[in-house]
Amino acid sequence: MEEGKMDGAPAPKRAKIGSENNPKPIDNSTGNTMSGFKRDRHGNEKRFNNGPRPAPKPKVAVVRNAYTPMFEQLRDELDAHHDRRDRLGKVSRDITGLSKKIIFALQRVRTINPDLPPQIQAEVDSRLAEISKLLATMAPDVQGINRYRYSRSLMCLEELAEALTFAHYLKTQTLLKPDELSAFVEELTRKGAVSEDGAKDKDEPMPDAGNTPAPASGEQETTDNDNKLAEKEEQRQPKLEPLTMSTTEDDYFYGVFDLSGEMMRFATTSTALTGKMAGAEDERTIVEDMHELGSFFEMLPMKAGDRKQWEKKLDVMRQSVRKVERLGYDRMIRGSERPQGWVPDLTADQPGDDEE
Amino acid sequence: MAPPMIDPALFDQLKDNIEKDSSIRKDLEQIIEELNQNVSYTQGVLTKIHSTPRSKYPALLSQVESGIKKELETTTRLAQFASQYPYYKYNYKWGRTLQDAIATVLLHAWLGGMGSDSKPGEVGRLLTLEEVGHVFEVPVNLKDRDAFHITIEEYLLALISVVEDLSRLAMNSVTLGDTELAVQISGFIKDLHGGFQMLNLKNDILRKRVDSVKYAVKKVEDVVYDLSLRNLIPAKDAQ
Repeated sequence: MEEGKMDGAPAPKRAKIGSENNPKPIDNSTGNTMSGFKRDRHGNEKRFNNGPRPAPKPKVAVVRNAYTPMFEQLRDELDAHHDRRDRLGKVSRDITGLSKKIIFALQRVRTINPDLPPQIQAEVDSRLAEISKLLATMAPDVQGINRYRYSRSLMCLEELAEALTFAHYLKTQTLLKPDELSAFVEELTRKGAVSEDGAKDKDEPMPDAGNTPAPASGEQETTDNDNKLAEKEEQRQPKLEPLTMSTTEDDYFYGVFDLSGEMMRFATTSTALTGKMAGAEDERTIVEDMHELGSFFEMLPMKAGDRKQWEKKLDVMRQSVRKVERLGYDRMIRGSERPQGWVPDLTADQPGDDEE
Repeated sequence: MAPPMIDPALFDQLKDNIEKDSSIRKDLEQIIEELNQNVSYTQGVLTKIHSTPRSKYPALLSQVESGIKKELETTTRLAQFASQYPYYKYNYKWGRTLQDAIATVLLHAWLGGMGSDSKPGEVGRLLTLEEVGHVFEVPVNLKDRDAFHITIEEYLLALISVVEDLSRLAMNSVTLGDTELAVQISGFIKDLHGGFQMLNLKNDILRKRVDSVKYAVKKVEDVVYDLSLRNLIPAKDAQ
């Protein structure tokens, strides 16, 4: 290992980049990024114009002692862990971005309908295809014990849960269930690996967000041992099956909390632009749906271990419910009078609440 | 008739899972609290090293050992319980306590305890992560399955606590007239410091604690310097 070592060799002569004598690029692994030299436009190291290069600051030579091998081993293990975490974090950010794009596309829908408008469906499918590939790249790093180890680097799954539950609602006016969500994400991951081989790609229709496949194990997977189930499943299948990853309960909960915000936005826009409350008017509208969703979460016990976060999200959900209530009321009172495109004033009786 | 917004069975399913999770956490907290008490006692006994000459170590070390035995029993119960669930779901709850337990074991061994028939204890012995695992009878750095184990981070953080304790002991052993021990501690801490320098650390708790090792180095260097100034370094070469 060369970290921290500086040999006493004289400074190399000016050389073009890529030649043997050119010092190697900055080694970022030590975190010591101040050891680089300025380079001129030819890529050669700059030297003082008038005089030899000053002697390099003496670096402490690494003296090996009895414990060095042990620390080297521990270092390698820690490095592998950090690298894995960084890899996952990068992909997670990409998946989050794509999920948000799906949500933006879905917000252009105006009515609840089993078929999304073709252009929007096409965009959703295309984003899901990209997400699918990215999930497949993550899967090897989140098997078994690693699934929960890196959960802080997998925040994208909450955003994805939000997008998928939103799409499901717009098509079916129902709430996607956690095991359906999990099965769908597992399927997405598997498909991502398959299309990496180039075998099937755009020709294969992406699983529709509204037509979720049956849960893989045939039973509910919302136990504490989500990753253990994924592990078992992986073992059951023949070795050629691609690895998969699934959502945890927390991914589902926090995704659905955020779903209520998207439903509220959808309600606001669709009511304004269509003049009607979304949903089948003779059955139930989005107002009732928001009430049901809100009460559902009010009744659930608070999840331990994350009280603050849960309370915050619950509070935002409450405000979304009240905004949609207001919409319903306005529609009832003023429905026929309202000119097209009029948007109700939602800020009137709720001081200090935020849009988000 | 359209299906309901939310499947009626879903509520009970989610409620049961949340309640199960809460119950698991409560049970864990109970076991961890007991381990905490075991550790506190053992740590208390270990504070006596700062006022006990080496000749009286055997009695002290066996008292420490009885404290450690309790720690091991409780850890076994913790391991059995926690292994039923994903390790990284709840490990943050016992991390600190387990670290402290590991530190007591490391310090005990360094002072000459933890001997066995095949390998008697000796002053200056550093247990490896694997050896610590054997003492606690749990796996270490577990990767191929999901169960309770001791992590590298816990081991390293425990080691740093031991370094801090030993740097204090260096000073007190001089007071007790045991300059040889002070010199041995100094060499040990400086070696460990070199080892810690090899790690590529991120901006986390480990990085902050590793920073404290250099203060321990300074402390022991000052002690050795004081000794050498007054020709108090023992004649034979310090190991």
